[in-house]
Amino acid sequence: MKTASRKGRRPAFGGAGRAGHYARLALALLIGAAFVFPFYWTVVISLGKPGEFSNFPPALWPHWQWSNWSRAWNAAPWVRLFANTVLIASGTVLLCLVTSLLAGFAFGVLRFPGRKALTLLVLSVLMMPGTVLIIPDYVLANDLHLLNTYWIQIIPWGASVFGIFLVRQFFLAIPQEILDAAALDGASRLRVLRSIGMPMVRPALLIIAVNVFLGSWNSFLWPVIMTSSTMDSSNTVQPVEVGLSIFSSAEGTDFPGLAAAVTFTTLPVMVFFLVLQRQFIRGALSAAGGVRG
Amino acid sequence: MLATVLGVTATTTARPLAVPGRPARRRNQARDFRTTRWGWAYSAPAVLIFATFVIVPTGYTFYVSLWKWNALNPAMSTFKGVGNYQRLFAATQPTFLSSVWHSLYFSGAMVIGGTAVSLAMALLLQRGGVLLNASRVALFVPHATPVIATSMIWVWIFNPRFGLADWVLHSLHLPTSDWLQSSGSSMPAVIIYSLWHEVGFTTVVFLGGLATLPNELSEAARVDGCSAWQEFWYITWHQLRPVTTFVVAITAITSLQAFTQFYALSGGGPVYATTTLSYLVYQEAFVLSDTGYGAALAVVLFAVTVLFTLVRRRTAAGSESSLV
Repeated sequence: MKTASRKGRRPAFGGAGRAGHYARLALALLIGAAFVFPFYWTVVISLGKPGEFSNFPPALWPHWQWSNWSRAWNAAPWVRLFANTVLIASGTVLLCLVTSLLAGFAFGVLRFPGRKALTLLVLSVLMMPGTVLIIPDYVLANDLHLLNTYWIQIIPWGASVFGIFLVRQFFLAIPQEILDAAALDGASRLRVLRSIGMPMVRPALLIIAVNVFLGSWNSFLWPVIMTSSTMDSSNTVQPVEVGLSIFSSAEGTDFPGLAAAVTFTTLPVMVFFLVLQRQFIRGALSAAGGVRG
Repeated sequence: MLATVLGVTATTTARPLAVPGRPARRRNQARDFRTTRWGWAYSAPAVLIFATFVIVPTGYTFYVSLWKWNALNPAMSTFKGVGNYQRLFAATQPTFLSSVWHSLYFSGAMVIGGTAVSLAMALLLQRGGVLLNASRVALFVPHATPVIATSMIWVWIFNPRFGLADWVLHSLHLPTSDWLQSSGSSMPAVIIYSLWHEVGFTTVVFLGGLATLPNELSEAARVDGCSAWQEFWYITWHQLRPVTTFVVAITAITSLQAFTQFYALSGGGPVYATTTLSYLVYQEAFVLSDTGYGAALAVVLFAVTVLFTLVRRRTAAGSESSLV
């Protein structure tokens, strides 16, 4: 019981002494490296010589053949596809922030008849998954002539149960007198929400924004189905992930080119993640926090 | 304006009863501010979106599932009643029952493997310094990348002639595998990819849970002479039960819905070995254009999801957040 005097829980692995500490560190770094290795390998292949990818053992160092990149870059309207993704993701984030803020305020602060029922209704949305909805929503989008538009890729995802309840949770946690005092001063509800509420729930809004943005960037089945009949590639409304999938089925045997396309389409999300990783991790943590709340 | 409001706030919160005036009126005014039918208007934008694209369409799926649906001209659809549901048990390839089995196989492996791996990783990475935090970020990165993009890379990692996966096995003098190209190993390959993509998220969830645990029990256990394993088994993991329930539920539900990795890695094959219920819904409704039958499959998928959600709700009361 060497560690009995140490404060707190002991680490489950190698709790005993320095050697254990270094063993734990080495194991953690090894696993971390294994998790990011596929990304490194993708970059190596994208910069490799033609035909090199089919060597065994596989190449592990880049040869700086940028021609793969230019070949892949010229094969599809990537700028347009990127712009589509950014437009769709930003639109979805904006809409989600507004709907989450308003509904979270209503559920967390306001009292009105039917609030409980409405809360349950919103919660029930969690049970209705995308794969089930894709058929009726396709029929609906067809009837509304919304197929192959930006709208059908933004509006249906413009409300988030996670977002609403995160904002509600934040509103429940702030001192209630603050809002009441503002109302007492004669501020309207909208004014209270905008001037007092919004600054206080800003961390929640940031978490929602990064998660919704990433969710929108990652969505695949929905845009594939909803924009399937896009013909003209110069006016396409498809996001970059769908473009990547089309590129892959057309040029599937050109692995260095595909690796290059994967690299330059994924790099922006990676940078986005690395810059905002605190918010992502807080988002995951607040998902855990919801369990206990 | 904001400054004055906050100034007032400071005094009211510090000495709410000492403020002169009419407390009763003040309370009423505050209640009026909260009690309002405008609450409906504030919730309306979110509720309208959910109603239009989620709640009503779910009901509509039931309706479509009763028809031989004509996707090009719904007016030409013919009513089949429970015909689509009877077909579920007819012997067509790939069979409905095999797809249910594949869904359960995938979800079961993801739940057991994902929970075990992420709990172990959380214990390994908890309360660490800079390097352990770097590992945590490394674990989370795959989760932040699009499934379609990384699946394409993993197709090549799993390549039996020159892929990384077999190279690793080869280097370790282990028998190599055909991975995605054989019906026996394709599902394990998809599971390995999915674990790589998902465990970063669930690890962070477990880390969040670990951070909230009080230390007293662990200390008492240690004083009483518990081994590290006993301490984990009887104290830490026991206290983590709500978090574990959440991880199990969220993994089960996302695994049941998983589509993109099956689309990109295995295309449901070989010989339908990775055709899950979710994949079959897509296949029937959008590739084979049998919308009615696809809807019937979707209804079954919905029922299974509801079952999972209700189990979760019973076991983890008050859990209301989820993945977006």
